[in-house]
Amino acid sequence: MAQPLVKKDDDRDDEAEYSPFMGIEKGSVLQEARVFNDPQLDARRCSQVITKLLYLLNQGETFTKVEATEVFFAVTKLFQSKDMGLRRMVYLMIKEISPSADEVIIVTSSLMKDMNSKIDMYKANAIRVLCRITDGTLLSQIERWSNEVQEAVQSRAALVQFHALALLHQIRQNDRLAVSKLVTSLTRGSVRSPLAQCLLIRYTSQVIYESGNNTASGERPFYDYLESCLRHKSEMVIFEAARAITELNGVTSRELTPAITVLQLFLSSSKPVLRFAAVRTLNKVAMTHPMAVTNCNIDMESLISDQNRSIATLAITTLLKTGNESSVDRLMKQITNFMSDIADEFKIVVVEAIRSLCLKFPLKYRSLMNFLSNILREEGGFDYKKAIVDSIVILISDIPDAKEAGLLHLCEFIEDCEFTYLSTQILHFLGIEGPKTSDPSKYIRYIYNRVHLENAIVRASAVSTLAKFGAAVDALKPRIFVLLRRCLFDSDDEVRDRATLYLNTLGGDGSVVETDKDVKDFLFGSFDIPLVNLENSLKNYEPSEEAFDINFVPKEVRSQPLAEKKAPGKKPSGLGAPPSGPLSTVDVYEKMLLTIPECANFGKLFKSSAPVELTEAETEYAVNVIKHIFDRHVVFQYNCTNTIAEQLLEDVIVNVDASEAEEFSEVFSKPIRSLPYDSPGQTFVAFEKPEGVSAVGKFSNVLKFIVKEVDPTTGEAEDDGVEDEYQLEDLEVVAADYVLKVGVSNFRNAWESLGPDFERVDEYGLGPRESLAEAVNTVINLLGLQPCEGTEEVPPNSRSHTCLLSGVFIGNVKVLVRLSFGLDGPKDVAMKLSVRSEDETVSDAIHEIVASG
Amino acid sequence: MGLWEAFLNWLRSLFFKQEMELSLIGLQNAGKTSLVNVVATGGYSEDMIPTVGFNMRKVTKGNVTIKLWDLGGQPRFRSMWERYCRAVSAIVYVVDAADADNLSISRSELHDLLSKPSLSGIPLLVLGNKIDKPGALSKQALTDQMELKSIVDREVCCFMISCKNSTNIDSVIDWLVKHSKSKS
Repeated sequence: MAQPLVKKDDDRDDEAEYSPFMGIEKGSVLQEARVFNDPQLDARRCSQVITKLLYLLNQGETFTKVEATEVFFAVTKLFQSKDMGLRRMVYLMIKEISPSADEVIIVTSSLMKDMNSKIDMYKANAIRVLCRITDGTLLSQIERWSNEVQEAVQSRAALVQFHALALLHQIRQNDRLAVSKLVTSLTRGSVRSPLAQCLLIRYTSQVIYESGNNTASGERPFYDYLESCLRHKSEMVIFEAARAITELNGVTSRELTPAITVLQLFLSSSKPVLRFAAVRTLNKVAMTHPMAVTNCNIDMESLISDQNRSIATLAITTLLKTGNESSVDRLMKQITNFMSDIADEFKIVVVEAIRSLCLKFPLKYRSLMNFLSNILREEGGFDYKKAIVDSIVILISDIPDAKEAGLLHLCEFIEDCEFTYLSTQILHFLGIEGPKTSDPSKYIRYIYNRVHLENAIVRASAVSTLAKFGAAVDALKPRIFVLLRRCLFDSDDEVRDRATLYLNTLGGDGSVVETDKDVKDFLFGSFDIPLVNLENSLKNYEPSEEAFDINFVPKEVRSQPLAEKKAPGKKPSGLGAPPSGPLSTVDVYEKMLLTIPECANFGKLFKSSAPVELTEAETEYAVNVIKHIFDRHVVFQYNCTNTIAEQLLEDVIVNVDASEAEEFSEVFSKPIRSLPYDSPGQTFVAFEKPEGVSAVGKFSNVLKFIVKEVDPTTGEAEDDGVEDEYQLEDLEVVAADYVLKVGVSNFRNAWESLGPDFERVDEYGLGPRESLAEAVNTVINLLGLQPCEGTEEVPPNSRSHTCLLSGVFIGNVKVLVRLSFGLDGPKDVAMKLSVRSEDETVSDAIHEIVASG
Repeated sequence: MGLWEAFLNWLRSLFFKQEMELSLIGLQNAGKTSLVNVVATGGYSEDMIPTVGFNMRKVTKGNVTIKLWDLGGQPRFRSMWERYCRAVSAIVYVVDAADADNLSISRSELHDLLSKPSLSGIPLLVLGNKIDKPGALSKQALTDQMELKSIVDREVCCFMISCKNSTNIDSVIDWLVKHSKSKS
């Protein structure tokens, strides 16, 4: 390997001497660029000059604003040339030099013309440049050209169609309805280019995803389109469609079948790419629908000996997922044979397969756990090792019999582990699980060894783990104290500090007492504040008389950008994410609200709603609101984020107009004193309302604040600010806000025990509805109660359905609801609503909600 | 023009195509792009979209090839006009003769542009467009209101035209052809 590398370097030296661009200077190239202005253009010469300019730019040469502007305008003059090569360079140059937005618009018209030209090279490139130079200010202009882009979508040239579709989608990406319309019109079949077709399939799956799980009628929108793509003549399109179908939310086996069939055909293709694509997709399907894949088992058995290791790995792990208990041992043997031949990334796939296999066949845990511990000892990168450790941790948590063996494997691993992260995570896990085992003392040696042998970070976490053993196992306490005292002489501050802290909290002064509950909470409790928020708050905290109050740290996890939200559900993680804390969100909110003096006498917090977005995505200020319901009050918590780096907002407050909410009167409002860029803050507005009544109303909101410009270089704000306001969306308090979702395990028992004393029954006609499921969903959302026993799911094609709901109404009144739906005619839905509760006014109130909804 | 010179010109035109480069400017909706279409193809359309940036057209009339830079007239493009006027054979400035309200803006934009040193001496052709409309100015009134008499550092000419009815388009083309490069 070393030999050719050296040789290559020699080559490069030789080449450099002959490079045509060697030693060119910006100044002289800029002079040469004057040829762009010649009345008689020399296309060849111009192309050369642009090449030199691009070379300079790519070498990191910077152009002053004036230079860049001059070059840019000179280049725009080259649109007069019909030379294809030169035009291509012009497109490149415009993209590279990227002048300011108010200048670059000068080429818009020319690009639009090229987009509709007969020459495909012009079209595709023009669209690409348009995509690149278009920003918010140009967007309104672009939208006017939608027609032109639309025409380009109909182009016969494959690449033009592909780029045009991508541009159309980008223009509309924030408008769900528009994307849906786009997909609707194009799926009727005018897209010929296979590439564009693939793109369309992706957009279609996105639309399907966003339109929700409306499968009651058995008809999924656009499914027919995806299915028809399975019969396309291009393999690429077939595969894309098959994959899209397998990734549908809650896909049924009937929907899966045609996709699996084409993937099965691909398995025996002569092209490795197709085999790989098919087996990889089937592998994923096998995780959720193993039965659907069993038909392919024979084809996959033959792939185990495929000369492409990646295909073989995926085949074998798929078989592991779909196979039965008897085939496990045979497959494990085959894996062991080629484990050392494959890359880490595929080893991870194998590890994950073993994990799910073990969860499926717990009786086989011994051989599978052994396999995991064997590969844990072999060479491997961090991700691979982490996958193994995660798997062992999951197996320990799920299979009680595997716990002791698994913990010992982990202990052996940390004896020789090069990854600090994994060592600390395992130590943390040991601290929680170890004390619960039959003989906790045998782990102490492994943990204490860390204190001798490892770096400071690992030593510190070993100290914490020791303390947990001490706290949980009284018998071990004296020995733990001895060890902790030795840690007092560690060379690292953190290690010494922790040892001191734990010795004090555990009473290490010699008296061996039972561990206090507070201490246990401190050691084992979870931390309910997102670390990012804590970090931000600490950064913004200025030393003053006022102490830092952790209760003011926002507990909201900042809403993720849209794209990330769409990521499919996370797979079970091992050490990475600790189980969410025992504190409910209501407790957290209540604690926080209590710190506001005005809220102190509001009593107990009944319910906090999920955040409601009051701004659209990607606006200047992002605001969402949480409705906190008390017995006699409602508090709106507005979570505001300032997304403009050049601004500091002060005295931020929401002006709420409650004229459409008659029963509410404002009590107080609490502004945000300072809202720097990208650091969320909360302002509160509280209202009084009649006690115990589910008062509803609509509130309109205006965000008011003082804007101060921030110098981007120094980060300091100017002294003078300007008052400004920002219109937010309206907010409604609805009846469902007064209802808590509380499930019951046995609805019938609960229903009988509540008795018929306050039962209220009535019938309602819901009018024509899209489907039975849609009607059921609407009523559930209207009432805000917890569906019980899975009765919110309406089987496809059913004509009637019964749904059971339970919950607690404000004032802590238990409510049970039995909903009987029936289709009356083709679309009309009728509903019988029976309510039982501990209070007849509440039973009436529930009927009131439905009657007025 | 002496006989010999005329003979030489004739000879030259046999062997060399003549070239000229023009910039077409004026406020938005004055009819610049329409004029290009009328000159190039003779076609006229009522339904035009504003030019975002510039259009580049080449038109051949007789043995003269005319390169036309048809620039957008909206305010944000006006600062960029000058860059496309440098070294052209003539600047064609189109005015909506039936839009009295914007005439003073049109005048100041024109005089601003001509004050640029890089454009000194370039011949100017002012076209009063839309004379088919009722209330359109006369040539005299346009010359006065545009203060064309005050421009003394270059050749200035003014025509009244209608792109819609193709009125006077021939005279415009004649004037342009006469100002093509090889003449000077």
